Amino acid sequence: MSTEPESGAPPGEPALLLEVRGIEKSFPGVRALSGVSFDVRPGEVHALLGENGAGKSTLIKIMSGVYQPDVGSILVNGTQVDFFSPDDARRAGVATIYQELLLFPELSVAENIFLGHAPLAGAGRIDWGAMRTEARRLLDSLEIDDLSPDQIVGVLTVGNRQRVEILRALSHDARILIMDEPTAALTESDVTRLFDVVRRLKQRGVGIVYISHRLDEIFAIADRVTVLRDGAYVGSRDVAETNVGELVQMMVGRRLESLFPKTAAPIGAPVLEARDLVRRPLTKGVSLTVRAGEIVGIAGLVGSGRSELAQTLFGMTPSESGDIRLNGQSVRINSPETARANGVAYVPEDRATQGLVRGMSVLHNFSLAALGSLSRTGFIDRAAERRMALEGVARFSVKTSSVDEIAGRLSGGNQQKIVLGKWLANNPKLLILDEPTRGIDVGAKAEIHRLMSQLAGEGVAILMISSELPEVLGMSDRVLVMREGRLVAEFDRENATSEVVGSAMMGGTSSEERAA
Amino acid sequence: MSLAIEMKTFRVPRWLKRHETLLAIILLIALFGLGLMNDRFLTLDNLLNQGRVMTEFGLIALPMTFVIITGGIDLSVGAIVGLCAIMLGYSWKTFGFPLPLAIVFSLFVGALAGFINGLVITRIKVPPLIMTIATLALYRGLAEGISQAHSVRGYPEWFYFLGQGDVFGVPTQLLLLLVLIVIFGIVLDRTTFGRALYAIGANETAARFSALSVDRVKLVVYTLSGLASGLAAWVLVSRVTTTRMDMGSGYELDVIAAVVLGGTSIFGGSGTIWGTVIGLVMIQLLKNGLALTGVKGDATIVVIGVALILSVLIASSLQRRRD
Amino acid sequence: MTATAIASSASGRTGMFRRLAGQELLLAVAIVALAVVVGFINPRFLAMRNLSDILLGNSYIAIAAVGMSMVIISGNIDISVGALIGVLATISGSLAVAGAPIIVTWLAPLVIGVAVMAAQGAIIAYLRIPAIVVTLGMLSILKGGLISVTGGKWITDLPQNFHLADLSLFGVPMPVIIMVLATVLAALWMRNSPIGRAIYATGGNPEAARLCGVNPQRTVLMVFALHGFFTGLASLVYATQLRVIQSTTPQGLELTVITAAVVGGVSILGGVGTVVGATLAAILIAEITSALVFINVSPYWTDALRGGLILATVIADILRRQRRAAQGWKR
Repeated sequence: MSTEPESGAPPGEPALLLEVRGIEKSFPGVRALSGVSFDVRPGEVHALLGENGAGKSTLIKIMSGVYQPDVGSILVNGTQVDFFSPDDARRAGVATIYQELLLFPELSVAENIFLGHAPLAGAGRIDWGAMRTEARRLLDSLEIDDLSPDQIVGVLTVGNRQRVEILRALSHDARILIMDEPTAALTESDVTRLFDVVRRLKQRGVGIVYISHRLDEIFAIADRVTVLRDGAYVGSRDVAETNVGELVQMMVGRRLESLFPKTAAPIGAPVLEARDLVRRPLTKGVSLTVRAGEIVGIAGLVGSGRSELAQTLFGMTPSESGDIRLNGQSVRINSPETARANGVAYVPEDRATQGLVRGMSVLHNFSLAALGSLSRTGFIDRAAERRMALEGVARFSVKTSSVDEIAGRLSGGNQQKIVLGKWLANNPKLLILDEPTRGIDVGAKAEIHRLMSQLAGEGVAILMISSELPEVLGMSDRVLVMREGRLVAEFDRENATSEVVGSAMMGGTSSEERAA
Repeated sequence: MSLAIEMKTFRVPRWLKRHETLLAIILLIALFGLGLMNDRFLTLDNLLNQGRVMTEFGLIALPMTFVIITGGIDLSVGAIVGLCAIMLGYSWKTFGFPLPLAIVFSLFVGALAGFINGLVITRIKVPPLIMTIATLALYRGLAEGISQAHSVRGYPEWFYFLGQGDVFGVPTQLLLLLVLIVIFGIVLDRTTFGRALYAIGANETAARFSALSVDRVKLVVYTLSGLASGLAAWVLVSRVTTTRMDMGSGYELDVIAAVVLGGTSIFGGSGTIWGTVIGLVMIQLLKNGLALTGVKGDATIVVIGVALILSVLIASSLQRRRD
Repeated sequence: MTATAIASSASGRTGMFRRLAGQELLLAVAIVALAVVVGFINPRFLAMRNLSDILLGNSYIAIAAVGMSMVIISGNIDISVGALIGVLATISGSLAVAGAPIIVTWLAPLVIGVAVMAAQGAIIAYLRIPAIVVTLGMLSILKGGLISVTGGKWITDLPQNFHLADLSLFGVPMPVIIMVLATVLAALWMRNSPIGRAIYATGGNPEAARLCGVNPQRTVLMVFALHGFFTGLASLVYATQLRVIQSTTPQGLELTVITAAVVGGVSILGGVGTVVGATLAAILIAEITSALVFINVSPYWTDALRGGLILATVIADILRRQRRAAQGWKR
């Protein structure tokens, strides 16, 4: 099993429709891709697998012209090209179906398919007849007989809307179709129909890049699968020659225990006891307990409802039913203020839009969640505020020239420390961390983990949501797994392995279970 | 004032500081120039009188600064002035309220009008621009309907003290404005409320995730905006001794221009009361200077319109160059 | 709108007639219903003279609302339209009094209207200044400019042939013809031209629009230029009905025009609505204003009614969108 990606088509095989070689891409504070290669053959479905933050979305954005790579080349049918815009990629025959469907609900199927390149009659008028005929022809080519060109997209189901998007791609004569988590919002029958469409596209020689977490689908529809991890290429396999266990291991890897200085902490009384929390649409009756000094990790795929659960516990999206007890007291958390008043803190998933006010200084960000404690009569005690920030900077080793520096200028890791620090200023009893080390460098990661251990030692109850299995496995006393809005599994630290947790996450059977 | 110095920690620190100093310098030059062109300009009498006229805009510009810092806008202020002016006269003459009660009542109406703005903006999530355009129409319409175009005159002597009197030689309303400037300035710069305003304007989502009571803060600023409009109406009526239904018409232009000229970004997240004051003074002096050199009153709004567009243009291109 | 969609998909038709149900139908019904009710209370309301006065006197508002709908559909707003109509009317009248050929006095408002609005559109699209700021500033520039240039004088002594609005074709007065033509042509154009589609796309989902090859900046520029044309046309109809052209701009005109567009079904958040609805709404609002007089309500309440109407429509629209979003439509 080589670790080098194949470059160029093997001799005797048809030319590659699309190939990217040695792609590197960085953004301020984060290295998204380091030396990734990928290719698509005509008529194949090539799946792209990886955890959140592995670089999949950056890769497809490069392949579809939204980003330009820092290093590396793109080849279409063997010829090197540059995509400076999505238009360039589209003209080269690359079409992307995003999770966020880009359709116009007020317009019809035919109009959506041909938006921007409608067939014109004389004087620049839209030729409605030709448009409808073309749309009909496309529908027929994929043997879709339950959609009409005149239907208004707004009333279609998600599955049908997706098919409209695919047709739109085909109307541009796409030879390469990139599908990003296409089945995330589909019903069973929709998935079946999608696969039909995919198979017909394969017959026509269209190459499909298929991104999905659902291993069972990958085994059902894909020909090859490539795994990315932390922005790097891990390996490619023919689907027929691999199994779930191998893929899971490639995705999560065996990472170094030494990165997580987790020290044992005395575990005390329950701080959080949640029963049957329900909040539409993604929290469907969740019960969990977190004790003082305990670190509970929640694993799960994108869309499994972990952040939604966290935000319900934090009062951002209050629960519709079920109850919450904090330190034995029953409380109704219906706003973040109530949550904070009861000692709950939440470090959000997206630090840029949710965690930090990037335009403000480090000083002001540090105090943002604790303004109440810094002011008695409404007036902020500036000396105390500055002391709080200076202490925070020191305690968390935030690398900044001064506390007056604009927070947006700091690196990802340092920004994350500020978000964490601002909540710790409140001395919370329950700390909810949502992807605490996403997109930050190894050194900062270790610091945050050390901090978590320390806090646990001081009796703080920690609930950690993470998509990095090694982190979950390394730091948690208990691992919970969420899938589609429910808690589906719980493992003690000793019993949690990447196989069982990964399987529970993806709903497939683990290789051990299969072998039996 | 230390207000300007503390500002350096915000998003566009040095630029803003430069903007305000630049503004202050332009102001001084303009003062000097206008004084040269017309010897009536720099007299104490004239300046104090300008201060008197400026107060009505000034009172509204203070909470408007807050509103724009949060990333919102309030176009209904002029209409609220009209409505409150009408309610003052109407409740006194027609309901028979004793005048002090009528005054309080009209202030209450202003606060209520602003409160309704804030309520719909925060609960139903209608964008501030659209909501306040709609209430602009509604409140102005109510003023017209309630007054039936009748004016109210004949207020008692003591009523004119606010609009036409002096305290130690300073016009009464100007004194009121000065006090409020200090209060608003301190609130913006030194209180948790003021800090919340900046956070909401810079990143409302992060502000919510930091457990700031975003909706309550917004409700307060829009209510204040309405209340200030009511206060401005009282001052206005007291100054011109009559109540008319078209009062306050066009105020939103002057107020927003003053705030934006003073360095507050139309997109929210930055701004100071100090800057607004400078903007206010500049616009008033501009109007006055033009009038004294023979330019007709109505033409001055042309200049203000140009000033508004130019200041946003300059601000946003400076901002873009910085990024 | 859902019922409309299902109905039309069942009939399988595209084109302008597809959306004639829904909001437009509601408005048409309201117009008729109101006429019946008020006519019952005061039969003089239904006199031919009155009904034609309503149409004639307010057709210019409907024409302006056509352009305004396009602007709002594209996701922008314009509050300078009232002032511009006043300015263009004065320009047109001044040219006529100065002895310019009549065709010039009629074309001038169209050309200048396009120029002024296009300039605003350019500033909004390319300099990224919010539409509210630009049009607020322009409003005052136009208003103040008008007063200072005319010195407050009114224009009288307009030559006889200036009054385009007095002409009629087959017994139908010119203003009504222009209104109907403008609405129909605009509606056809919005539906059938790529730029019309681009306007809907830009207002509905600018990111998706860009990814479809639509140029949002050019679209905004075009939309304002078009709006300028309709503003000029409205001004033409307005001015040629007057014997005296004042030097002030009609009070609150922009609010009436915006209200017509919004009540006509244009969503203030962009991307939705038709120009036919705007025209019908303008007629309805004019009808309401007249009705108030005939049922002895003081005309001073008209503006309050208009304000309440726009507020209610906006709130209903936003609530409807939220309900739709909650039902799982991903945007």
